[in-house]
Amino acid sequence: MKRIATIALLLVASMPVVHAKGDDFNSVVKMIEDFYRVKHVGIPFLAKAGMKVATTAARIKGGAARRFAEAGSIKLAVFENQEFNGNFAKFRSSLNQALNDSWMPLIQTVAAAGEEQTYIFLRNAGDKTNVLVITIDQRDATVVQVTLSAKNLALLLKDPEGTGKAITEEATLIDQE
Amino acid sequence: MKSSFKTPLITLLLIISTAFVAKAQDTRIQMTSLDHLAAKATETVDVNVDERLMKLAARLFSDKDEDERQIKKLVEGLKGIYVKSFQFENEGQYIPADLEPIRAQLRGAGWTRLVNVTSKKEGNVEVYLQFAGEMVNGLAVLHTDDKELTVVNIVGPVDLDKLAQLEGQMGIPDLGIESPKAKKKTNEQ
Repeated sequence: MKRIATIALLLVASMPVVHAKGDDFNSVVKMIEDFYRVKHVGIPFLAKAGMKVATTAARIKGGAARRFAEAGSIKLAVFENQEFNGNFAKFRSSLNQALNDSWMPLIQTVAAAGEEQTYIFLRNAGDKTNVLVITIDQRDATVVQVTLSAKNLALLLKDPEGTGKAITEEATLIDQE
Repeated sequence: MKSSFKTPLITLLLIISTAFVAKAQDTRIQMTSLDHLAAKATETVDVNVDERLMKLAARLFSDKDEDERQIKKLVEGLKGIYVKSFQFENEGQYIPADLEPIRAQLRGAGWTRLVNVTSKKEGNVEVYLQFAGEMVNGLAVLHTDDKELTVVNIVGPVDLDKLAQLEGQMGIPDLGIESPKAKKKTNEQ
């Protein structure tokens, strides 16, 4: 009985840490919702879809498309046809502040005076890397979190903008399927 | 008596360690003074590849894979790559005074402007290296054009050849920099 209680206590004690780390994706989605007063469309099955979905994405692109995300690692939130009006500098500052502890900002681009924003953050995940790509334009936004292998991280570092776009495309392509 | 010695010793150690930290951070150019230009710019790019990410890359990348080996070689020894770039719709949306805080840092100890470096790009390109004796500790590039302003700062041992290899990669824009060596070769042909 004592042993069960100890295991239970250990499990409870370890839960908040795991929860906090995994929750950054949801925090960012919530932050966008609060800041811009918009609502996202949830796609819960994606995280479980894994290999099958990624293979499908490659097939849609003609079979030769590179697969960036590790199987089963995709988290995606899409905001469609809504108004993204707001002070982008303030949003950027809040975003950086919120993710500063556990994520490393890689590249942030703002075009047309805030009408198009792209943010890419990285986080160490053992021998792999978590990547968070946030894109916001005038009417739509996407938040994508994936896990990358070292090889795909190399590609991201070589071409952060291009690979960041490809990661978002891959995730949203899966969404279309 | 023992404690009266301890306090000055701790103070001295603190002063020395602060000086070392300041020295280590010298090659990192503070660019936040440019942030206000984002509101006027049509396009802003902000790249931060900090030491944590450099270490992560060095640890994760293998020598067996061509892509990974190439990046690993480039980032070896580097402590950071920082880029801020602004594009404006009209001339005069930034003024020379906006760059003054950056220039003030580059007038600081150790920084030397390379006068014989040119660029294929339009506008004016200035390249600065920071030396510690014979060693290069960092590099800074200022590219100014009527409607464009870019500051690149690489922290760590870097030279013009490495900069040329990094152009167009890791968020560093293509600066079209021609090193004196490359220029000489072209002249000989």
